Amino acid sequence: MKNNKRYKLIILFCLCFLAVANVNAQSDWQVPAKDNENLSPFLFDDDMILEGRVAYENSCTSCHGTPGQDDFTPMSPPPGDPAAEQFQAQSDGSLFYKIKMGRASMPKFEDAFADDELWNIVAYIRSFNENYKQQLPNMEGVEIPVYAMKLSFDQNVDKLVVKVLAEELPQAEVSVSAYVMGTFGKHLLGKAQTNELGIAYVDVDPALPGDAEGKVNVLVKATKEFARAKVQQDLAIAMPTEIHSAIEGRHIWSTDRMAPIWLKITFFVSVFGVWFALLFIVFGLRNIKRAREES
Amino acid sequence: MNMANKNDKSRRRFLQKLGIAGASTVAGSALLLQGCSDSNQASGNKVKVLTADNKLVEVDVAHLKPGDKIQDLSYLQKRGREGIPGKKFVMVVDLAKCKNARKCMKACQSAHQLKPEMHHLNVLEMEDPVKKTSYWMPKTCQHCDNPPCVSVCPVDATFKRQDGIVLIDNERCIGCRFCVAACPYSARTFNWTEPKNSDKMADVTYDMELNVPQKKGTVTKCAFSADQLRYGKLPYCVSACPNGVYYFGDQNEDLVTNGTTKKTVRLSHLLEENAAYTLMPELGTKPSVYYLPPRESEG
Amino acid sequence: MNETIAKEHLSEEQIDQDLLKNVNWGGKFKLWMGFLTVSLIICLYYYYQQLQNGLGVTGLHDYVSWGIYISNFVFFVATSLIGMLVSSVLGMMKVDWVRPVSRIAELVAVAFAMVAGLIIITDMGRPDRLLNVFIHGRVQSPIVWDIAVVVTYVAISALLLYIPMLPDIALCRDKLNNVPKWQQKMYQRLSLGWNNTAKQFRLMNRYTRMLLILIIPIALSIHTVTSWLFAMTLRSGWDSPIFGPYFVSGAFVAGCAAVIIAMYFFRSNYKLKDYITSDHFDRMGKLLVLVALVYVYFNINEIIVPGYKANTADAKHVHEMLYGHDSVMFWLVQLGGLVIPFLLILFRPMRKPLPLTIIAVIILAGAWFKRVLIVVPTQLAPYYPIQNVPEAWSGYSPTTPEIAITIASFILVLMIITVLAKLFPVVPIWEVKEEMNHNNNK
Repeated sequence: MKNNKRYKLIILFCLCFLAVANVNAQSDWQVPAKDNENLSPFLFDDDMILEGRVAYENSCTSCHGTPGQDDFTPMSPPPGDPAAEQFQAQSDGSLFYKIKMGRASMPKFEDAFADDELWNIVAYIRSFNENYKQQLPNMEGVEIPVYAMKLSFDQNVDKLVVKVLAEELPQAEVSVSAYVMGTFGKHLLGKAQTNELGIAYVDVDPALPGDAEGKVNVLVKATKEFARAKVQQDLAIAMPTEIHSAIEGRHIWSTDRMAPIWLKITFFVSVFGVWFALLFIVFGLRNIKRAREES
Repeated sequence: MNMANKNDKSRRRFLQKLGIAGASTVAGSALLLQGCSDSNQASGNKVKVLTADNKLVEVDVAHLKPGDKIQDLSYLQKRGREGIPGKKFVMVVDLAKCKNARKCMKACQSAHQLKPEMHHLNVLEMEDPVKKTSYWMPKTCQHCDNPPCVSVCPVDATFKRQDGIVLIDNERCIGCRFCVAACPYSARTFNWTEPKNSDKMADVTYDMELNVPQKKGTVTKCAFSADQLRYGKLPYCVSACPNGVYYFGDQNEDLVTNGTTKKTVRLSHLLEENAAYTLMPELGTKPSVYYLPPRESEG
Repeated sequence: MNETIAKEHLSEEQIDQDLLKNVNWGGKFKLWMGFLTVSLIICLYYYYQQLQNGLGVTGLHDYVSWGIYISNFVFFVATSLIGMLVSSVLGMMKVDWVRPVSRIAELVAVAFAMVAGLIIITDMGRPDRLLNVFIHGRVQSPIVWDIAVVVTYVAISALLLYIPMLPDIALCRDKLNNVPKWQQKMYQRLSLGWNNTAKQFRLMNRYTRMLLILIIPIALSIHTVTSWLFAMTLRSGWDSPIFGPYFVSGAFVAGCAAVIIAMYFFRSNYKLKDYITSDHFDRMGKLLVLVALVYVYFNINEIIVPGYKANTADAKHVHEMLYGHDSVMFWLVQLGGLVIPFLLILFRPMRKPLPLTIIAVIILAGAWFKRVLIVVPTQLAPYYPIQNVPEAWSGYSPTTPEIAITIASFILVLMIITVLAKLFPVVPIWEVKEEMNHNNNK
């Protein structure tokens, strides 16, 4: 009996240890103090949660599972369920930092998502916490400029030229990131800072294929402190490319309608030829019958 | 309590002034139909759709959404055979990252209603004959540009579309299994018996882009999740991978997107920098699936 | 003095009587047909099961998706090819001794070709969609070519059986008065008012000649196209440019053996010793030696060329054949079913009717298993490993329904041959008479 109790104790101890170790794995991850205190400049509203959900389902579900279901993939260290307490105990800034920077088997999403999209994901994760109360940055006395952007392309140096203005005045030291919109995600062309003329240059690979006119859909984001702006438009910055259908021409593998002509002719000429001869013989059998009547 | 609420609301207004909080930025949700018609304008072409609360409604083709259950077989058949104009889909599989998590296989089998022994996607343990090590290799249909399976089909039941995808029409397949014999990649599988959940799926309208419901006596295989691509979503396997193995994209754009990290990179650079290869190029099948070699130190 | 044409001592009446005597519905026939029908019904029950539950009732799976149905199809097509060799090639070369056995060869050809078409249907996952082949047929597919040539070959073989039989049908019409009424009516219809006029003979010979020429390319293509079902794929073991002639030469071996067996059966059951003589067997034996020699030659090519080069996939395939998983069957078929019988029939005593027939049975069985060896092992050695599937999928063993359905195809062939051989004389009477008169006038 006593022995039994002892075993139970040992098991309990082990379990406790494991749990602590698990938490440790999470808390192991040192987030710089400044990032830890980082706050979302956006209010986590339903729109953000919805967008965060789409992003989460595309990029996070495969490891973290559906929040609240505890169905994350068993890995080492365990990815954990974002709805779980140890997840929710972290600050917004910490979650944001971890998603953005990644570590070991947690991918780095810095290039995949812009900051506002990362906050969408944080908003979605927070939506599973009933007790969560969003802490917002102190905005009092902060003047937030409204940016306008003008995009152009300098063919001579293959550079995308981004001019950032606020009330007609050029804005310096604005971080600009430019993306090409692909079918399934956006490809980072590059990041740059505006100069004192409010202009940032982003390199464009001249080999990048565009449509027949060389146009691609470009997304440019500009951020500086709380000020943010984005613009998305078709720009002729890429190589004009003629797009071919994958099934052009006549091949053995084409559909019957697009079969090679030589094959169609050969097939039908031989089949109909032989059957013509056969029908000739079958009809000719009447001659045998007639040959009797003549005699 | 009241105060706090009010406070929140005023803040919300303030934040909205920033002009971003509400803006839609999710790139993936854009309709791919843009190529053939204006995504926002009605095309005048209506199809019957089953809503979530089981109501049959008519929706314009241009306004179809990913979750919609289209009830119009002839529309689905026509759409499935035509494919998506201007696209040429490719997949890149990074063998160095594959840890045999098999999430892709699971997602694939559940999406396509496959029995456990049926694989559109099979993660194989491959032997490296030189280094005497082994590595994991996910093997899908290669969506060849010179597809031997399509060549031999007697009834045009399997065919290649303008976007490069090789599909099967199981409403037409006669079950001769010539394609199974002809495929050097063993990518095709056959419904030898009554398919999984066949009684539950009896009323579902057949969508060849998903190849569901499966039918007894017909062939099935990987479709690059053509039903997902139509809505700008990545294939089931690609987005299920926890290890960043799969990239998927459009060769015409020269961009592929990683299913795990969502990072979009240049296809040509990815292939060049990693010494990519295709499976058995000597056969001249010209696959649309590229492989990045397994890590050297592994094993 | 040649035994084959030693019929001078027979009168025309005697010949008529001897050869027409088999056209009746005796008790023995009824018993035999009853046995065949009951067996067929049992086998058809299994086919019903397959229709209900799908091809899953067979031993087939994703890695061996073509099994004994397709092997059997290839075997049937092969066997049916003999009609062309015997009646057309030898007939046109004026090889007179084949004339009495040419109808047997045609019977074998028609029966096997007809049933071959049915076997393809049993292998289909969706036989209810058979018409799709005609509605949506795709000219690039070897299956479409195969269906086209098989149908054409059945038609030509049937005509080639029928047209030279006109004088004999007329004879049946005139001489057989004690057969049922429908049968008399049938002879009446089918004989096309034949009354042995010179013009009728001229027309008949003309049409026969046309058919004999036509059947050569069709017969060659029926088996070449069947070989292309395999050769047009990229699988190692199938991907071989010599598959066409390889299959054709193999077909002659199987066909010769089948004809020898049929000859022996008719000779002893229908008491035709005077018409199908032991000399016929001797000559068929020699023909068999010739075609077997060609076939052995192709077999050597088929193994030695890839085996010598030993590129990765082919080497695996050849190794499996020679030493591995399939080696027992391979050596049994190659040595027991081909080389040893071939060596034996080089000796004259082995070409006597009974020994030759026994050897022919062994060769025919070997030929059947040879087709399995062509179809199955290649699929079991795919380029990528067989993994994540049930253990059983790395092998293949046919199930009871599968075997039963295959047996059904043989029963059907026997039924067709039996019925045709009971409706019409199996030895061309007018040709025998003509040959006899020709010899007497010499």
